[in-house]
Amino acid sequence: MAELNETIHQPVRLRVMAALVTLKPDEEVDFTYLRGLLEVTDGNLGAHLRKLEEAGYIAVNKTFVERKPRTYVSATVEGRKVFSEHVAALESILKNNPAKVS
Amino acid sequence: MNISPTEAEEALAAIQATMKKTRRAISASGAYGFLIVWGVVWLLGFLCSHFLPDEIAGYIWMGLDILGGVLSAIIGIRMGRQVRSPLAAASGKRIGWFWLLLIIYSAAAIGVAWPVDGKQVAMFIILFVMVGWLAMDLLLSFDSILPGLVIAALALIGYFLLLDIFYLWMAILGGGGMIAMGIYIRYRW
Repeated sequence: MAELNETIHQPVRLRVMAALVTLKPDEEVDFTYLRGLLEVTDGNLGAHLRKLEEAGYIAVNKTFVERKPRTYVSATVEGRKVFSEHVAALESILKNNPAKVS
Repeated sequence: MNISPTEAEEALAAIQATMKKTRRAISASGAYGFLIVWGVVWLLGFLCSHFLPDEIAGYIWMGLDILGGVLSAIIGIRMGRQVRSPLAAASGKRIGWFWLLLIIYSAAAIGVAWPVDGKQVAMFIILFVMVGWLAMDLLLSFDSILPGLVIAALALIGYFLLLDIFYLWMAILGGGGMIAMGIYIRYRW
C-alpha cells in the first residue's frame, strides 16, 4: 500500500509538486512564474524549494538569461515517483482508514 | 501522524486545482497574447481597408503586420522563458520556420493568381493564416481548433455573401472576435 510522504504533504510543497509534475519530464519552470502561479512570496517559496531539493524531489537550475540570473525548477524522477505514491495514499485514505505518514 | 479522510480530500482537491491552474496557465499564457495582438492588427487593418484608399491601407497593413510579428516574437520569447525545455526550444525554431515558409507560400499563391483585388488578397492571407492556426492546433494541442475554424468560416461567408462589407465584417467579427477570445482566455478560462 502506498504511504503518505511528510515532506510533500505540507500544503505549499504539495502545490509546488503538483505544479511541477504537471510539466513534461524535460520541462523546467521559472521561479518567478511558479511564485505567481502559486501566489506565494519569494521567501516562502524559496524555503520550500530548498526542502524539496534536499529531499531529491526537485532539481534547481540557476542560470543566466541575457546576463540576468534566473532560477528554473523541475521535478526529478524520484520526485514524480513519490508524488504519485503520495496521491495514491491520499486516495486510499478516502476509501479506507487514515494511513501512516512515512 | 495520521490524517483524516477530510484532510486527504482537501489535499487531493488542492492537487487537482493546482494541476488544472498550471495546465491552463501554460497553455493560455501565450494564446491570449497572440490572439489580442493579431485581433488588434486585424481590427485596425480591416477598418483602414474599409474606410481608406487601397494604397494608404496597404501601407498601414504592412506596418501593422510588422508590429504584430515583432510583438508575437516577444510573446514567444517570454513564453520560452517561463517554461523551458530542449524540445520546446527546438520546436520553437521549427514553428518560426513554418510561419516564414507559410508567408512565402501565401505570397507565391497571390503571385500565381495575380491580378487580384484587395479583398481577394485579404482572403488568400486569411486562408493561409487559418491553415497555420489549424496546423499549430493539431500538432501542438493549443486547444483552439474550433475558434480557428469559426474565423475561417466567417471569412468565407463574408467573402461570398457580404462582399460589399467584407472588410468591416472581418474587422468586427474576425479582429473583434480574436480580441474577445483573448480577453476571455486571460480572465475567465
